[in-house]
Amino acid sequence: MKLTLRWLREFVAIPDHIDGQHLADIFESLGHEVEAWRPLEPGFEGVVVGKVLDVAPHPNADKVRLTRVDVGTEELGIICGAWNFEAGAIVPVALPGAVLGADFTIVRREIRGVTSNGMICSEAELGLGDDSDGIMVLDSDYPEAAGAIGTPFEMVVGLPDVWFEVNVTPDRPDCLSVYGLARDIAAYLDLPLREPLIAVSGDGPPTDVRVVIEAPDVNPRFAGRQVRGITVGPSPHWMRWRIIQAGMRPISNVVDASNYAMVEFGHPTHAFDVDRLGTRLGIRMADQGERIVTLDDQERILAPNDIIVTDGTHPVAIAGVMGGASTEVDATTTNVFIEAAYWDPASILVTSKRLSLRSEASARFERGADPSFCAMGADRVAQLLEEIAGGAAASTAVDEDPGSLSPWTIRYPLSETPRILGIELDASITASLLRRLGFGVEGDDPLIVTVPTRRPDVRRTVDLVEEIARLHGFDAVPDTVPQGPGLGLPFREQRIRAIREIMVGAGFHETLSFSFLGARDLDTLGFAEGHPVRSGIPVMNPLNEGEGIMRTTLLPGILKSAAANLGRRIPSVRLFEIGKVFLQGAGKLPEQPDRMAFIIAGAQDATWHTPGSEPDVFDGTGMWQLLADKLGIPHASVRAARHASFHPGRCADILVADTVVGTVGEIHPSVAEAFGLTGRVVGAEMELVELLIERGPWQYVAPSTYPPVIFDLAFAMDESVPAGDVLAVVTRAAGPYLEDVRVFDVFRGPSIGTGRKSIALALRLRAPDRTLTEDDAGPVRRAIAEAVRDTVGAELRGTV
Amino acid sequence: MAATTRVDDPMDPLEALRIDASSRIAASATTSDLDAIEAETIGRQSLIASARKELGTIEDPEERRERGLRINSVATELSDEISRRRLDLASAERSAALGADAVDVTLPGRVPGRGSVHLIHQTVDEIVDIFVSLGYTVATGPEAETAFYNFTALNIPETHPSRLETDTLYLDYGDAEEEILLRTHTSPMQARHMESNDPPVYVVVPGKVFRSDSLDATHSPVFHQVEGLAVDRGITFGDLKGTLAEFARRFFGPGTDVKFIPHYFPFTEPSAEMYAYTNGQWMELLGCGMVHPGVFEHVGYDPDAVTGFAFGMGVERIAMVRHGIRDLRALIDPDMRILEQYR
Repeated sequence: MKLTLRWLREFVAIPDHIDGQHLADIFESLGHEVEAWRPLEPGFEGVVVGKVLDVAPHPNADKVRLTRVDVGTEELGIICGAWNFEAGAIVPVALPGAVLGADFTIVRREIRGVTSNGMICSEAELGLGDDSDGIMVLDSDYPEAAGAIGTPFEMVVGLPDVWFEVNVTPDRPDCLSVYGLARDIAAYLDLPLREPLIAVSGDGPPTDVRVVIEAPDVNPRFAGRQVRGITVGPSPHWMRWRIIQAGMRPISNVVDASNYAMVEFGHPTHAFDVDRLGTRLGIRMADQGERIVTLDDQERILAPNDIIVTDGTHPVAIAGVMGGASTEVDATTTNVFIEAAYWDPASILVTSKRLSLRSEASARFERGADPSFCAMGADRVAQLLEEIAGGAAASTAVDEDPGSLSPWTIRYPLSETPRILGIELDASITASLLRRLGFGVEGDDPLIVTVPTRRPDVRRTVDLVEEIARLHGFDAVPDTVPQGPGLGLPFREQRIRAIREIMVGAGFHETLSFSFLGARDLDTLGFAEGHPVRSGIPVMNPLNEGEGIMRTTLLPGILKSAAANLGRRIPSVRLFEIGKVFLQGAGKLPEQPDRMAFIIAGAQDATWHTPGSEPDVFDGTGMWQLLADKLGIPHASVRAARHASFHPGRCADILVADTVVGTVGEIHPSVAEAFGLTGRVVGAEMELVELLIERGPWQYVAPSTYPPVIFDLAFAMDESVPAGDVLAVVTRAAGPYLEDVRVFDVFRGPSIGTGRKSIALALRLRAPDRTLTEDDAGPVRRAIAEAVRDTVGAELRGTV
Repeated sequence: MAATTRVDDPMDPLEALRIDASSRIAASATTSDLDAIEAETIGRQSLIASARKELGTIEDPEERRERGLRINSVATELSDEISRRRLDLASAERSAALGADAVDVTLPGRVPGRGSVHLIHQTVDEIVDIFVSLGYTVATGPEAETAFYNFTALNIPETHPSRLETDTLYLDYGDAEEEILLRTHTSPMQARHMESNDPPVYVVVPGKVFRSDSLDATHSPVFHQVEGLAVDRGITFGDLKGTLAEFARRFFGPGTDVKFIPHYFPFTEPSAEMYAYTNGQWMELLGCGMVHPGVFEHVGYDPDAVTGFAFGMGVERIAMVRHGIRDLRALIDPDMRILEQYR
């Protein structure tokens, strides 16, 4: 809503000491957010109202005339180039010394031998509109100016003023008008609200348009009045000036009158050209596929939930949304029917959204216009047309009321105030607050509150609590701080934080990607058709093609993030992301497991003390081991695996016991390249569920104070034997004294044989209660050698 | 005394040894020189050692005793001198070695991996922790949600504009009997949490939310909210104000001013927006209100028995105001030069 302080003052006597900032604060405390406000100052100085006494030709020029103008204190000779006036016209006169705009100073000057003592001004010159074709003639625009010769012209046009743009919340259709906001202001200031002065002459014959409502459930109220004998033309300046301040464009007096009345009182109206319409109007639901050409000359195809106005047969308007071209008011129109109806808000919303035809009018209908204002709404426009278009309003009006919408009552127990707000207000204060807002109040406790039809948002007791709180002021409610039962941070949340800290400690930065993928992302990852990763859930209304599918994997996001860095010449990248993927499932909702992905890309930079290195799969498996160790996950391991997005020989499944929880490895070079990555890129993606299991506190193991036995063992075996298997066997066979086992060398060479490798292990045995000797170590070495040979077929190198 | 005479006797080989050894010890330059001197003078093959062996050949007990004492005295004296000299030499040698080991300490050090938690999650954690300290717990819920929980259970009418595709992202999932969408706020968890928990309920819900908005400096199709809900007997609007003002003071600093402006949300009544004065301006921090009785009815709570308040705040905006970030897109940019700033 855009409006001005002077406009508000037509309905409430806002005291002079309330300036723009103060009024903005009042709007805000009433719940009407002020988007913007600014003082409206006249764009001129030294301009007064003058009366043209006579007009004569210029002796030496054809295109200008000599005028003599009464400016109150004197009569001035002024040369004027405009021809849209004659003697007797009331006009704005810039006196010598006047300033127009920022720096245009009016001086006495000679034009072809005759002195001009000022300037008669146009709208455009005064910054009051677009019209620069002629000077402003005030006679009809501001009739009162005739009695104010010599007064500063800004007073005539109502300047200075203060302009506001107020965001009215969607529950308050009653405040989408100057009058409605004035009511809230009046309530706040405890001042009376001036009743609207709506009256028509009724000089014309009765309204001869007859209305038949076939859809009373969506059109419970319909009013209208005919106005005959109008002349369509531009509106007077005062109306155009307000229309502009309200953020609209002046069109013609008929359209402007409708818009003016809508901004003034909030009720949209529509004018039909009766000579084109005929005398019948019908209201019904549209038939499927029915067509209408609307005011904007577009053909619209209608649907059964559109409400239409007909001429008895064919659609002539989409009710509450847009009129039809066939009955449009144009320059030749003289006879109009002003419709002011109440339309079902939900129907208007659906229709206007479907047709993408949202307007100031539909916005009001979809929130809920005031059904009881329909007749007044039509009459206000009729009144304006009588004033500015020379019409005569019909002596009778149409006012159909098949839906009988009337005010409703709410019982308000006074105990609701302390129960919801935490403060006590007695019956008289409560009743006074509600009455100021226009509610009817009777009784003591409960109060019986009558809600006017303009307030569809007030339906239950609690809605009245809000009204009371709003007007009484939120600041009047003292602050208190209740303490909850203290259930604390759940384990899952603690655990996710712990995982983040582990990753951060290992040098990874957390990123956040969007939860969408494009089909091309999945192509690029290399998964075959039919792979579950490819059956992502489509977004029905995606913003763009690249965001058309819910992600089934975190990899594309993190690969793109890594590539963005390498592309910006940031060479060494370690990133992780935790988030949900969205998978087809059996339940009502998609499966939405939490996952983590990480990536290591780019050569780790050489420094003066450390040579540069490329990440490899072991950076990835090592991270899994770190996570498992720090999170206390038992039986964490990896085993060789193949996945489409990964290097076939450098990829592993991540396991907890026998459950595969993820994948780690080097990204397949062609996948990496497709995402714009070069060199070895290590990636991983894992389910978080196993990592989030609560396993109870870890249990202390006292370290032995006795000396250990330390020895190395090397085994020769086929290339195909996984080191992991060897380690598993060794760990099992080494018995209870094994404190540590470490692979310290992997060797290939002629001494081992082609297709074979040697894995060297360092073991440390230690007993909790005594010093181990060679007598203890010997049997362990033999047991290990035997188990390794029998289980994985690896031979001990050297002797036991 | 006879012993004194002998000590002064330059011809006494023991005395000659003492004088000679003493000067060699003093002149020794390295600990290994000193080791050699020690072996020659008091070691197993030394003159002292052979003098000790010869003691047995002295027949006069008195003379043998005198001689023995004399030998021990010289041995002890030399041993002490060697020890002192060794300490001196070792210290000098360590100093020399350390001198040679010196480096330019202004060469860059080895920095261990330096990562960061994303600013959004740092901010979420901080918000959550304040409410945990006020006795709240944490719940999280699905991001793909039913229209029922996202709208209907929250009292949002079937025809509300927010349900339209211009505002909400819908998923092509399931049998279409129930519309599945990407939740537009964290508020669906109000209903889910109350359905599965009896009052009292004090909970905050952090999470991702989605809107049909193109990415620009102030909009993103994906962003984060923290939702809060307190339902108990006797919860009032004063509790809402007090709790959220306390939150603002803990988050922005003890002197932080707040104001509550009436607003509209379908699922709260009365509703408000809270502003906090920070960085020299009033910042719209969160939306809040008393839980609408219609919401209680949807989850089977008795709206006459309990009252409650709910609030929701946008994490991105709070983080942006706090850290001077002007463009929302910085928060989804994976550029490590940004991430490294997240500390």
